[in-house]
Amino acid sequence: MINFERVSKIYQKNWVALDDVTFEIQKGEFVFLTGPTGAGKSTVLKLIYKEEEPTKGTIKVMNYHLRHLKKNEIPQLRRKIGVIFQDFKLLHDRTVEENIAFALEVTDTPPRDIKKRVLDVLTYLRLSHKKFKFPYQLSGGEQQKVSIARALVRDPYILLADEPTGNLDIKSSQEILDILLDINYQGTTILMASHNLLLVRKAKKRIISLLNGRIVQE
Amino acid sequence: MALGIGVREGIRTIVRNSSLFILSLLVVAISFFLLSLFALLTINLYSLVKGLEGKIEIIAFLDEHADVEMLHSNILRITGVSEVIYVSSETALKELQEEMGETKEVLRVFEDNPLPASLRIKLAPEFRNSKGLKELSEKITLLKGVKETIYGGELVDQLKGVTKIITYFDAGLLMIITLAVIFVTFQTIKLTIFARSTEIEIMKLVGAEDSLISIPFIFQGMIQGLLGGFIAFVLLLITAKVGSAFFSIPYFPKLFLLVGNLFFGMIFGIIGSAIALRRFLK
Repeated sequence: MINFERVSKIYQKNWVALDDVTFEIQKGEFVFLTGPTGAGKSTVLKLIYKEEEPTKGTIKVMNYHLRHLKKNEIPQLRRKIGVIFQDFKLLHDRTVEENIAFALEVTDTPPRDIKKRVLDVLTYLRLSHKKFKFPYQLSGGEQQKVSIARALVRDPYILLADEPTGNLDIKSSQEILDILLDINYQGTTILMASHNLLLVRKAKKRIISLLNGRIVQE
Repeated sequence: MALGIGVREGIRTIVRNSSLFILSLLVVAISFFLLSLFALLTINLYSLVKGLEGKIEIIAFLDEHADVEMLHSNILRITGVSEVIYVSSETALKELQEEMGETKEVLRVFEDNPLPASLRIKLAPEFRNSKGLKELSEKITLLKGVKETIYGGELVDQLKGVTKIITYFDAGLLMIITLAVIFVTFQTIKLTIFARSTEIEIMKLVGAEDSLISIPFIFQGMIQGLLGGFIAFVLLLITAKVGSAFFSIPYFPKLFLLVGNLFFGMIFGIIGSAIALRRFLK
């Protein structure tokens, strides 16, 4: 599903974010990406959805050879990948329902399907009663759930989570992890970057540890 | 579908950044107003010069014993002369009396008609300048039976000179205003792109096409230009209305100015936003 072959990423001023990284993630796997800040976790995620280009090496995601992917083909790749972040990235002038629908509206989903799909995902995440609320009226955990809903509503094959529990308390973090595990159980491949080792160990899933841009433990 | 979403997002952007939008709208409107005002002035000057040109003529005063018919045909044969009209001394007096109106009684001091008969000589367009007038009038003065010739071409030359300067000024102004409007739109769209960076980020992340991401900004630039052009036209109408109390505007091509303002407003708006998109929507 995701294949990194001797991938390096060097930013400006010779800052090495990733150094000769090779790994493979199978379809339906749940993998944690751990390591301290600056280890290269976010870079790995950004390379997968082609926000960044590798300096060296090859990356294959699903059937896409990312090096050969043209600029106008990137949207097609991203429509199959969901991404969630530590800071949720919600639109504060739109309700929960509008935030989720937005992801469908801008990707050519027929209007008659949008309402139903939004409602389905809200029901699944037990957020239906909050659909007319604005993000600032929600707790951090609820906001992250909305962000998951927005990623999930497009039925992605892969879900990338960049420190999704970074801003949450223990209880909310556990709740988010449980949701992600359930999503994975239903077949979605998940790669989650986190430095919350306690949470990661509890989940008993495969772990890739990064340090200074290199894989130190698998 | 995509267009509908794009336009909806464009309207949302305008509403949310309304103060920025209004500010740049005003700049665009004032720029176009100035441009229209000078365009109107130039158009009127041109039409004035053209009108005056049509009236340019040489008047040849005749001797008492002049052979009018012979002179008439001789003058008509000169290159540059398009028409020759004979005005008898009686007709000239009558015209003068009509022009003087109530003060015509003054003319009673003359026992006889003091006005000589004359020929009014109209010129072909290419001779309607002071050089042509001078040349032809010298030729006509040499003819037997012509006492004297008069003409007034210097005013037209001066007007033409002024019109030329104003046309250059217009061209310069057009260039400055083109750049100003494009720059203002560019800056507005740039700030709007920054203000909407989260939306743009999410759109890209979920796989929206670049064209869809661009539509709201192109839409905003276009609306800004169109509205700016329209407001400029309304300002021009108001100015013309107020101004008509002090001076007359003989030629006011409203449709031309309206369509011109809307068209260029829209085009400059689109160019401005396209440049901003190219630079900031990577």
